[in-house]
Amino acid sequence: MAVAVIMPRQGNTVESCIITSWHKKPGDKVAPGEILFSYETDKAAFDEEAKVEGTLLAAFFEEGDDVPCLTNVCVVGQPGEDAEPFRPGAPKADTAGPAEASAPTAPAQAISDGTRISPRARALAASSGADLSRAVPTGPEGRVIARDVQALIDAGLVATPAARGTAAFGAEGTGLGGRVTLADLARTAEAPAPQAAVPAAPEEADSYVEPLSHMRKVIAKSMTLSLSAMAQLTHNISFDATEIRRMRALFKEKGEPFGLSRVSINDIVLYAVARTLANPAHRALNANLIDDGKSMRYFRAVHLGMAVDTDRGLMVPTIFHAEKLSLAQISAEAKRLAKACREGKIGPAELRGASFTVSNLGSLGIESFTPVVNPPQTGILGVCAMKDAVRMRDGQIEVYPSVNLSLTYDHRALDGSPASRFLLDLKANLENFALLLAL
Amino acid sequence: MSKQLYIDPSAVRAPGSIHFEDIPVNRYQKTVRDEAGNFTKEQLVNIYRDMLTLREFETMINLIKTTGEYEGIAYNHPGPAHLSMGQEAAAVGEAFHLDVDDYIFGSHRAHSDILAKGLSAIEKLSDERLLGIMRGFLGGATLAAVERQPHDTVKDLAIDFLLYGAMAEIFARETGFNRGLGGSMHTFFTPFGIYPNNAIVGGSGAIALGAALYKRVNRQPGIVVANIGDGALGRGPVLEALNMAGMGQLTELWPDGMKGGLPVMFNIVNNQYGMGGQTVGETMAYDAPARLGAGFNPNQMLAERVDGFNPLAVIEAYGRKKKLLLEGKGPALLDVVTYRFAGHSPSDSSSYRTKEEIAAWEAQDPIAEYRRQLIEAGVATEAECDEIAERVKRTNLRNFKLSIDESVSPRMDLVKNPDAIADLMFTNGHVEAFSDAQPEVNMPLQDNPRVQAIARKERFGIGKDGKPVSKNKVYQLRDGLFEAIIDRFYKDPTLVAYGEDVRDWGGAFAVYRGLTEALPYHRLFNAPISESAIVGSAVGYAMAGGRALVELMYCDFLGCAGDEVFNQMAKWQAMSADVIKMPVVLRVSVGSKYGAQHSQDWTSLTAHIPGLKIAFPATPYDAKGLMASALVGTDPVVFFESQRIYDVGEQFHEGGVPADYYEIPFGKADVKRAGKDVTIVTFGAVLYRALKAADELSEKYGMEAEVIDARTLVPFDYETVLESVHKTGRLVVVTDACERNSFASEVARQVTELAFDDLDAPPVVVASRNWITPAHELEEAFFPQPSWILDAIDAKIVPLKGHVRTTNQTRGEKLRNERRGV
Repeated sequence: MAVAVIMPRQGNTVESCIITSWHKKPGDKVAPGEILFSYETDKAAFDEEAKVEGTLLAAFFEEGDDVPCLTNVCVVGQPGEDAEPFRPGAPKADTAGPAEASAPTAPAQAISDGTRISPRARALAASSGADLSRAVPTGPEGRVIARDVQALIDAGLVATPAARGTAAFGAEGTGLGGRVTLADLARTAEAPAPQAAVPAAPEEADSYVEPLSHMRKVIAKSMTLSLSAMAQLTHNISFDATEIRRMRALFKEKGEPFGLSRVSINDIVLYAVARTLANPAHRALNANLIDDGKSMRYFRAVHLGMAVDTDRGLMVPTIFHAEKLSLAQISAEAKRLAKACREGKIGPAELRGASFTVSNLGSLGIESFTPVVNPPQTGILGVCAMKDAVRMRDGQIEVYPSVNLSLTYDHRALDGSPASRFLLDLKANLENFALLLAL
Repeated sequence: MSKQLYIDPSAVRAPGSIHFEDIPVNRYQKTVRDEAGNFTKEQLVNIYRDMLTLREFETMINLIKTTGEYEGIAYNHPGPAHLSMGQEAAAVGEAFHLDVDDYIFGSHRAHSDILAKGLSAIEKLSDERLLGIMRGFLGGATLAAVERQPHDTVKDLAIDFLLYGAMAEIFARETGFNRGLGGSMHTFFTPFGIYPNNAIVGGSGAIALGAALYKRVNRQPGIVVANIGDGALGRGPVLEALNMAGMGQLTELWPDGMKGGLPVMFNIVNNQYGMGGQTVGETMAYDAPARLGAGFNPNQMLAERVDGFNPLAVIEAYGRKKKLLLEGKGPALLDVVTYRFAGHSPSDSSSYRTKEEIAAWEAQDPIAEYRRQLIEAGVATEAECDEIAERVKRTNLRNFKLSIDESVSPRMDLVKNPDAIADLMFTNGHVEAFSDAQPEVNMPLQDNPRVQAIARKERFGIGKDGKPVSKNKVYQLRDGLFEAIIDRFYKDPTLVAYGEDVRDWGGAFAVYRGLTEALPYHRLFNAPISESAIVGSAVGYAMAGGRALVELMYCDFLGCAGDEVFNQMAKWQAMSADVIKMPVVLRVSVGSKYGAQHSQDWTSLTAHIPGLKIAFPATPYDAKGLMASALVGTDPVVFFESQRIYDVGEQFHEGGVPADYYEIPFGKADVKRAGKDVTIVTFGAVLYRALKAADELSEKYGMEAEVIDARTLVPFDYETVLESVHKTGRLVVVTDACERNSFASEVARQVTELAFDDLDAPPVVVASRNWITPAHELEEAFFPQPSWILDAIDAKIVPLKGHVRTTNQTRGEKLRNERRGV
């Protein structure tokens, strides 16, 4: 009767072993004690001896294969017996369902002895002048934490510097390093009612100060970083949009069954940019400059950042693996991401990881601009409005639709010639879009 | 474990009997008259002088302790004083044949041993060498104190130097032999071959063994003597050392030129008492310490009893034993009978012995008896003897005055220089090799089968497809350790590695696979299952001048080597004022899956002890770089490794683990993942569970965790953690150690103090339960899981919307557990 030989488990931490050599081949006679094959773990090498007499009917793995322990490796039996039933099949399905998570959670405890405030939240309130009395605690056990103070700041619930001295949190700290101690707070509580705030200075009457929203601050910080840490410059080129306008009209008219009826000019540009960047010749623009400008991380895929204007400010979600998506897929993904951004439902994972960014101000009529690179990326493409242009062709003045492209790039990462060649390739791809689609 | 040794069942099962030779007891009965022709007059007279010098020194300390003055000069010595009046003949007899190349290690009761060995060294060294040693020591500070007095000869000057250096050390003066940091129980002076004396009873047993190992492996001359008491034979580490010094491989398996038991003498200073316990008849079973040798090896450790009240008997015994030890016939054991007239210490009223007993021994005072024999044999006259006694007294008094004179012998000024001791805690050296000799190896490095196997591996753990490389093809953490270790073996000829199952087997976790082929037996060998002797001998090996890499197969065995790790490895650099270096790396493997006594992370125990550097890498890149740093340093390192991740591939270091040599400095944490919402600090293997928690935080709750791998516990990189907490305001510290008193708790406490105003919530520790480690199948209830980290964040730091906790994180549960002590 045919007998399977399994890969032994050499110790309970070993999950698989590599077959290093076969000493028998199918059809060979084997006797007990003869070595069938040698194998090794990451710790040691072993030989597997035959336990029964017969013929090696089948070997399911080759030298160099990494075989899970307890898997059938070969079959010994009598000539003519069927070894196939022993061939390792698909792994067994996991029959046990996931355990139901049923642990109770403790209800948040109400606290009666005053509101607790984390040190960080207190420090933030002190530096920003946020009115702690209006904070909505969201921390554990009703503790006011930093984000609650940030919410006050974002909502503008910030005391003027003049009034700040009178607020409860403004107690003068007598603790180490000026820390406000409990005694300081108690003293403030006992202090007589403060006098009316000093009248605002004249210049404050004609203007008013609002703290930046959190998102505005993030944008401010990254823009400053971008412009202060990089060597940015912008190249402009325009392309003939006749072809893509024609294509778009076609999609609109007949694209419904293919999911193409809502493809926009911007989607077409995104598609062309992704395909152009995928060309290894332009890898310096599909890259991150890292390690303080000491190395470049080149991307094998094109993760296209797409600037989206929202009520809260600029957001840049990412279309991952854009180079592999069809035009219909790019179009659908761009719409989905833009919608998520505008509705505030975008996840952090979708707001990072871009290898290059496209920013389109065409709908606002902008004809040329200098987009700002989002570090550590090395480039950003600005897409401008479509407008009529004229040119001479065969001695005739001709009007055609033209779109300006503005490429800002980091001169530390690449020079002007390669940047220009990218624009030229992109222009060619856009002007011959049907060819690009057919590729 | 060696295939060269065949265990023949027929031989093992054959009937017969084991034969013992008689153990000689006090065979030597000669007097000065019998030996007069074998010694010069000067030698015989100096024996008297030396014994008197020891007696006067001890008498002085005794008077200071009991009457507050010596020779009319008041002095208060609040420190310890374990005196040895009565034991002088044993000490002087032992030192007579010992050269500067012969090392002695001793006990808390060692003043006499130090002085006797020092006087012997002064007698044997040339004036030029003596001056060189004295001028070079502590920049000449000790010499400067005694040089202000006139001396007829360099030897006289050297005797003052010896007495003064010892006194100043006992009185905690900066001019003492160890800048006053060793004190009475730990005085030593290595240039004279006087190695550390140990306040832990029997502590010198394994350490002396290690020094003997150094002499053998590095082909250095001389023997090593462990002066330990009859009470020390009740200590397990001493018994481990007695065995290991004569383990069979030394004669069976080690190569020619290295063969034979180690050149170490276990000199049992048998003064009849272990503190107050009477060893014979009360606390010990042996009846006579000399009996022990017969139990340890076939040549009975050459054991015999010698009359330690007769210096000539001890000299005669050492003459014979030293020769045998140098021939590789060791180890040896001498039962030197003697008696201490004073108590264990000045606070001891000798309530455990009768006045009659003390009087009977005092009636046979070895010094008085030797003086009688000198005069009887006509070697010296009464007047000559009196003159020697007077001179000894004058010398002692002169140095006493100097040693207590604040202007000559100041104490360390810790007000003016608060870092004086802190600066001595580590030597922070970078030494490629402790000898110029050619490293002894079996083959060129590139011929090594493991080296060749590693060359075929993927040095980065993530394949081009973004998936983990198969375990059998990936360069693993154990490969990183191996590369750093074999590299140092080919650079430092003094490096030795030993522990349980390291040779042939390659270590229980295959880190050393391939080292057996590379190294001869004397550089890599299997130690007996004797954790105390393994670590203790490594300490002695380093003291003698070599570099040792030893291991505990499981962290749980740390308790078996507790004294050696906590008191010996950790302390000797600072206790010696850095005269001694301690390049010992102790690998400690932290288990899992094996239950309560094989799965514990005891990093916090070692981190608690000042003087140890502690590493706990979690990636192949870190393991290789930290091991390289540990092995090129001069400080003691406890190097923790987790059995969970020996097979892990490198997932963080771009380009994979470099094939070339590199070091990662201690005290630099590594940000394994950047984030802005919460900081997670990890130690060792728990890193990977923290990363899983970070994934979940990001995917489900939009929080980006910054995961910081501590890499080393001592020194610890607080700057990196504080910088992160400044950004996030939130800290979770995760460890596989039990929660109570874990190092994670220490980090949480420090950060609370150092970053209080940055904190948005209290730092939270996620650790193992304060239980026994249960069976593997139940471990998920014991060791920190990714879900616990989320639970802790949700309950204590920032509520996670929709998160369902699986652990009870309430205050009530915490208090209930604390009330129960779990």
